Amino acid sequence: MEAVDAFSRALGLSPDGSVPPTYAAVYALGTTAPQLFSDPLAEVDLGRLLHASQEFEWSRHPTIGERVEARARVASDITRRGARFISLETEVRGAERNDPVCVSRALFVIRGSDA
Amino acid sequence: MKELTVTFSRAQIEAYARASGDLNPIHLDDAFARRVGLPGVIAHGMLQMGLAARVVGGGARLRRLSVRFAAMVQPGDTITFSAASEGERIPIGAHNQSGQPVLTKAEAEIAPEPGRA
Repeated sequence: MEAVDAFSRALGLSPDGSVPPTYAAVYALGTTAPQLFSDPLAEVDLGRLLHASQEFEWSRHPTIGERVEARARVASDITRRGARFISLETEVRGAERNDPVCVSRALFVIRGSDA
Repeated sequence: MKELTVTFSRAQIEAYARASGDLNPIHLDDAFARRVGLPGVIAHGMLQMGLAARVVGGGARLRRLSVRFAAMVQPGDTITFSAASEGERIPIGAHNQSGQPVLTKAEAEIAPEPGRA
């Protein structure tokens, strides 16, 4: 509750008991992307990491206090003109009913050292 | 057309960093940001997207939101977000004080209101 309210306030919203749609940044991306970025095998330099594009598709929006489960996969990882592009797809389901909540498609770019 | 104009501040970026858990120093530490070739700290793309979602609205009927982060946003930049006030597929605009788009290919889909489907 406090976490969602703080998120709402950071977007300039008055907390109203609902979960702002882009709180998916926390329950879809925040649960999965750091695991990838902190994995030494992925060789991601945080300082060179930028978010290039983002899509969320919701089957429904979660409610405050609800537990959800997120599962992500690297859909692609390519290097083009010195920059590396990583596409991360995350599927979020309700923990209680295992029903679909949200699909997140993130594209990250890791700039080359001269970019 | 609905509009929302926001001048980004360090305080807002820091608040978003804490609230979202994305504490990458490129958003918080000017010296670090410059060392990695950025002009200084930049706002989270997801903060921009959150503000875009605000201007779209739709509440629980929001079904899809997609954006491309086209330009960096720094503290002091003033961004105007805009969205059509009606429709199911809603293009979103986001431009800085120079008129440069900071979000492109930005679009929302909203489910029809119950009873109007």
